Amino acid sequence: MASISLQHIVKVYSGGVTAVNDFNLEIKSEEFIVLVGPSGCGKSTVLRMIAGLEEITGGELYIGERLVNEVSPKDRDIAMVFQTYALYPHMTVYKNMAFSLELKKMPKDEIDLRVREAARVLDIEHLLTRKPKALSGGQRQRVALGRAMVRNPAVFLLDEPLSNLDAKLRASMRTELIKLHGRLGTTFVYVTHDQTEAMTMGDRIVVMKDGLVQQVDTPQNLYDMPCNVFVAGFIGSPQMNILKGVLHRNTDDAAGADGKSYVEIGEDKLYLPPEKCSNALLAFAQRDVFVGIRSEDLHDDEAFLAENPNAVITAKVDVAELMGSEVYLYLQYRETSLTARVAPNTTSRIGDTVKIGIDVSKIHLFDALSERNILI
Amino acid sequence: MKVKRSASKTLTYTVLIIMVLVCVAPLLIILMNSFKGKLFISDDLFAFLTPQSFVGGANYVSGVTKMNFVGAFGTSLFVTVASVILIVFLCSMTAWYLVRVKNKFTSVLFYLFVFAMIVPFQMVMFTMSWVSNRLSLGNPVGILVLYLGFGAGLSVFIFTGFLKSIPIDIEEAAIIDGCTPMQVFFKVVFPIMRPTIITVAILDVMWIWNDYLLPLIVLDTGYTTLPIAIQKIFTGGYGAVDMGGLMAMLVLSIIPIIIFYLAAQKHIIEGVVAGAVKG
Ligand SMILES: Nc1ncnc2c1ncn2[C@@H]1O[C@H](COP(=O)(O)OP(=O)(O)O)[C@@H](O)[C@H]1O
Ligand SMILES: [Mg+2]
Repeated sequence: MASISLQHIVKVYSGGVTAVNDFNLEIKSEEFIVLVGPSGCGKSTVLRMIAGLEEITGGELYIGERLVNEVSPKDRDIAMVFQTYALYPHMTVYKNMAFSLELKKMPKDEIDLRVREAARVLDIEHLLTRKPKALSGGQRQRVALGRAMVRNPAVFLLDEPLSNLDAKLRASMRTELIKLHGRLGTTFVYVTHDQTEAMTMGDRIVVMKDGLVQQVDTPQNLYDMPCNVFVAGFIGSPQMNILKGVLHRNTDDAAGADGKSYVEIGEDKLYLPPEKCSNALLAFAQRDVFVGIRSEDLHDDEAFLAENPNAVITAKVDVAELMGSEVYLYLQYRETSLTARVAPNTTSRIGDTVKIGIDVSKIHLFDALSERNILI
Repeated sequence: MKVKRSASKTLTYTVLIIMVLVCVAPLLIILMNSFKGKLFISDDLFAFLTPQSFVGGANYVSGVTKMNFVGAFGTSLFVTVASVILIVFLCSMTAWYLVRVKNKFTSVLFYLFVFAMIVPFQMVMFTMSWVSNRLSLGNPVGILVLYLGFGAGLSVFIFTGFLKSIPIDIEEAAIIDGCTPMQVFFKVVFPIMRPTIITVAILDVMWIWNDYLLPLIVLDTGYTTLPIAIQKIFTGGYGAVDMGGLMAMLVLSIIPIIIFYLAAQKHIIEGVVAGAVKG
């Protein structure tokens, strides 16, 4: 139960690699924060600096009110769960969990109480006398969580804890971790490269790339208002469709009420709805832009096409995947491929050339140079 | 089909039995002769023990009384046990440092250890005896330093090999759990290294217990280890060699090592299996 404050944190490894640059983040007490980004972007480095396993090159790190840059890991009141679980192979599950408490010279009966309570919560009571090598991956995962739990730390640090589990177990552990967080009321800092994990688990998500924070926000806001092309592409599955075009914004138009502004993609024109035609867009008139469209905002049904004639493109269906409640259409449109999520009663078949309507009220526009979102 | 199978089985067993015999024969011959009378030994070393040649424990009695068996045994035991403990503790710590601290100094150090491992003893024998003389290492305590030096190369090499396979996560987890560096080593790393430590201990125990040349060169008069004592007394200047006593003392000097090996062997196999499962 502690807040964490990272202020202008920099990490340069001895080889000269700048793994993290000017990292700023305020983590609230009891928050579930997720660091997400592609492999090598510096997520683990940030986590390890919070843990005290990695020296901080520059900046200040506070846990609660305390500056902890120079505090050793064991005095930071944190616990960490590793991707490899890092259980002690020569100790039983019980000993693994009791180890940190024994080092603190806690009375035996209290250790026993805590270990058994954690084992009960995690449903591993029957495994207490086993050695780690006699456990399955999922069970090891629980022991690793138990080892962190018994210490009652102010902060839980988890580095890709689910990535060694199979898909089904991973999904169920996700919900369990969320429950555990609610039950413990501890600050969780969770690292993953999997955007689904991030979206489903985090109160807030920190999207990172090349050691830099791209955006920090709630899952919903990241999805609806990605600040740049990278975040837009990284968050959401299937990936957001990105098209390159030129923005035409008539300066004579009164802001907001025209409908004459459009993005030109080849010969196609996507007319922007009035609410998207802010004055800020004027600065980008006649410039190259990226148009971002979520797969659910592409429609192939007659009703939609009839109602929204202002943004229609023709594309060829490469593949149609029935996913049960919906169909994924993989489309070829000019030189780009698009993914559309449409209703299962779609009439589009593989090889067809179909009309696709774009829900322009939901599109995102990014400046082609800076790749920043110019609609927010 | 069945005939073929049993034929190949017979062949396999025959080969295996021959190999076992080849390995065990020298030991059996010594054991046999240690119960034979003197004349029978010199008459035919390879003859089987017969009621005529059997002299009971006479050779053992004469051997033990002729040489200071208890003293030499004690010296050997002390030197072996103390050296092996020193080698195991110091070399495992050194190896841990070499693996976990990566810089120029440690990599140079590592290659020095490897180099020390491949230099033959005979090459440094004379300089070493000179140095040991100067430093007064010619006693059972001083010789420990020499054994540590000669044992370090191989031991550090084996230990570093194994330590590289221990994920550093485990040590980091221990640090977060509240271990000091010393506790990380003794509570986590050292126990994980157990199978390797036992392997190294077995190699070193056999080498040091049986070593003849090093103690012969450096030990001051008055200190004898078992191999030297046995050699000195029974092939010494005065006339006929007491072959019976020699055989008996050899048997006695082998026994501790066999016991040690049998006790430790279980742990080696256990270690190998654990490693395989972890994969
Ligand atoms: N001990 C190290 N020494 C040098 N560079 C490192 C070290 N650890 C990580 N790096 C580099 O720092 C960057 C970030 O690594 P990391 O934080 O592990 O990324 P992530 O966890 O996001 O995959 C990578 O480019 C990686 O190569
Ligand atoms: Mg990582």
